[in-house]
Amino acid sequence: MSNLNWNSPEIVKRLARRHAAERRFKLLGLGAIALSLGFLALLLVMMMRNGVGGLDWRFLSGSDSTDPSVAGIWGAAKGSLLTMLVTLLLSFPMGVLAAIYLEEFAPRARWIEWVEVSINNLAAVPSIIFGLLGLAVFINTLNMPRSSPLVGGLTLALMTMPVIVISGRNAIKAVPPSIRNAALAVGASKVQTVFHHVLPLALPGILTGTIIGMARALGETAPLLMIGMRAFVVTPPSGITDPSSVLPMQIFLWSDEIDKAFVRNTSAAIIVLLVFLLAMNGLAIYLRNKFEVRW
Amino acid sequence: MILTGVLLVVLGLGLVGWFAARARARLLYAGRGSMHSMPGYHGWHMALWVLVPALLAWTAWSAIMPGLVEGVVMADPAAADLPADEMHRAAILAEASTLAADPSATAFDRQSQALAEPMRAAQTRFAAIGALLVLIIALAGGGYGFTRVRAGFPARTHVERAILGLLLAASLMAILTTFGIVASLLFEAGLFFKDVSPIAFLTGTHWAPGNARGTDIDGAFGAVPLFWGTIYIGAIIAMLVAIPLGLMSAIYLTQYASGAVRKWFKPMLEILAGVPTVVYGYFAALTVAPIIRDFAESMGMPNPSTESALAAGLVMGVMIIPFVSSMADDALAAVPRAMSDGSLALGATKSETIKKVLLPAALPGIVAGVMLAISRAIGETMIVVMAAGASAQLSANPFASMTTVTYQIVQMLTGDQEFNSPKTLSAFALGLVLFVVTLILNIIALRVVKRFREAYE
Repeated sequence: MSNLNWNSPEIVKRLARRHAAERRFKLLGLGAIALSLGFLALLLVMMMRNGVGGLDWRFLSGSDSTDPSVAGIWGAAKGSLLTMLVTLLLSFPMGVLAAIYLEEFAPRARWIEWVEVSINNLAAVPSIIFGLLGLAVFINTLNMPRSSPLVGGLTLALMTMPVIVISGRNAIKAVPPSIRNAALAVGASKVQTVFHHVLPLALPGILTGTIIGMARALGETAPLLMIGMRAFVVTPPSGITDPSSVLPMQIFLWSDEIDKAFVRNTSAAIIVLLVFLLAMNGLAIYLRNKFEVRW
Repeated sequence: MILTGVLLVVLGLGLVGWFAARARARLLYAGRGSMHSMPGYHGWHMALWVLVPALLAWTAWSAIMPGLVEGVVMADPAAADLPADEMHRAAILAEASTLAADPSATAFDRQSQALAEPMRAAQTRFAAIGALLVLIIALAGGGYGFTRVRAGFPARTHVERAILGLLLAASLMAILTTFGIVASLLFEAGLFFKDVSPIAFLTGTHWAPGNARGTDIDGAFGAVPLFWGTIYIGAIIAMLVAIPLGLMSAIYLTQYASGAVRKWFKPMLEILAGVPTVVYGYFAALTVAPIIRDFAESMGMPNPSTESALAAGLVMGVMIIPFVSSMADDALAAVPRAMSDGSLALGATKSETIKKVLLPAALPGIVAGVMLAISRAIGETMIVVMAAGASAQLSANPFASMTTVTYQIVQMLTGDQEFNSPKTLSAFALGLVLFVVTLILNIIALRVVKRFREAYE
């Protein structure tokens, strides 16, 4: 090996081959990203091309109708709003309290492991299963009003809670022990330490996780199909027990219409939904960047 | 009405109690200069004593009141000729109850009209009794709480114990949800398996619930074509798209891209995961499916259908890309730096290092990620509902219309049939299978990930 000649044609050729393989591999990676993002771009362009023309005041303020030229999304948007309100009011306090307990107070016990395993699994259970739960428990057993934002919100809250618990635990875990020790050292009780010091510091992280969970709930359709939120609703719901629809469901219902004019409505509704989701995710990223502390 | 009003009164009393106890504790504090707990804790302690027993009583009364009201109404002479049929009677009573709350509501039944008046009288009476009871309990609790405001009383310890109870209850909610899912799936699926044998369900190859009746009910619920469609779309076609693209994106972003490129491309890739599935479904049905149909036609296939396994699988694969990519990202990052450094130091190029050292070392993590991705793909609903079709057939032709477990769950439950027919119950049996399969995939994957991380720590 000592008299290896690096300039011999054989070795030069071999090196060139290896470097070509290197470039090919790198291009392959770049191509994979380009293909994925190209698909995203195609999707967005298609929706814009079909839908932008349909976005006007009448569309934003109207409710569902069999006539595509007067059908609007305000009814569904209001249904989404009420549903999200129920979901947030239930899943946020529950999720945060559970995260605090598991991270700060839970004893090392067998049943705590069960709680953790079930939270991790619930986060990965298909959403349609939550719909089956909502149908069997809330509607058939507890006789709650079908198609209502109340049942929809409850179902989505059960789905969103594990997401909030997991992100909440990570945020609480990220608060350094020195904060806790300092509070304990000047005589604060364990509960005071957590609620006065740890929780405020962890809150931006928890909020980020909550917004992401809520964004997912906002775009969710399958569980709501199960509890009958596909009713044709001409008047916007006035309370959480009225029959109503939600934005993604409106998209689904319109996409099923045979009338070609509904293509424009469907795409316009998709644009509205995507704008909402983008705004929520943007807010989450902003919160994270603004309040994230590197300890 | 009265019961809702009393709830507000109780909340007001709680507030009053909070202020009263705090003020008294402050006075005590000013006199002595030392107390066990801060005045605010005395306030909370008192408020809890006002609210908790009263709210419990309120909940209990709301639960038993309809029964009491019904008992009185049934004793009314007007109820003597009610039909004996349970369902019919309940409907009339429900209508009477609506009438009692709102006299202008329209009644369809003469009997319910006659019952509305006794119903209203009974409701008012029992609501008043309940309201009085709740108020007495609130005042009694408050009175007891107020006597406890003393210098040496450990109000903080008591309040903190209540807070811990609340925290515990919140975390038990997760177990309750899991239990609720398992119980409701098992119960409804149990009803289904009373009519249809589980073996016929799991091994039969003919799915036609539409014409299931009489003796041959077993033959109509063979779910194998659904399982095959689910696996073919979610675990084969979608993964053929998602694994190469997701893995290569992760490799490029972690190994080649500069910091700035990574900072921009990673969030953009994650947008793909944030797009709602109903949007993907619409895109699949509107844009992708016609392209695939035209392609199939140009390949010389006779009458290809608009709905195809390929359209649904392709779009689902794209949806899963960011998921696979971030799992692969984690797995690659967990491989110790020394391993790739060693390979580079021996003169291997970067791509050789990745292929021969990094990927084999990260393989368990990547495999676990793929398992999680499959579990997500087979539970995906909207894309297949909108693009995959309804025909249950055992076919390996990607251009054919194919149905999945989730599609059939939606199909069985969104019609207008009675709830307890085998057709609707079959949705719960399918849900049970889906739940068990995804659960097993998740548990195995999480365990592999955990062991894999430990191996390199």
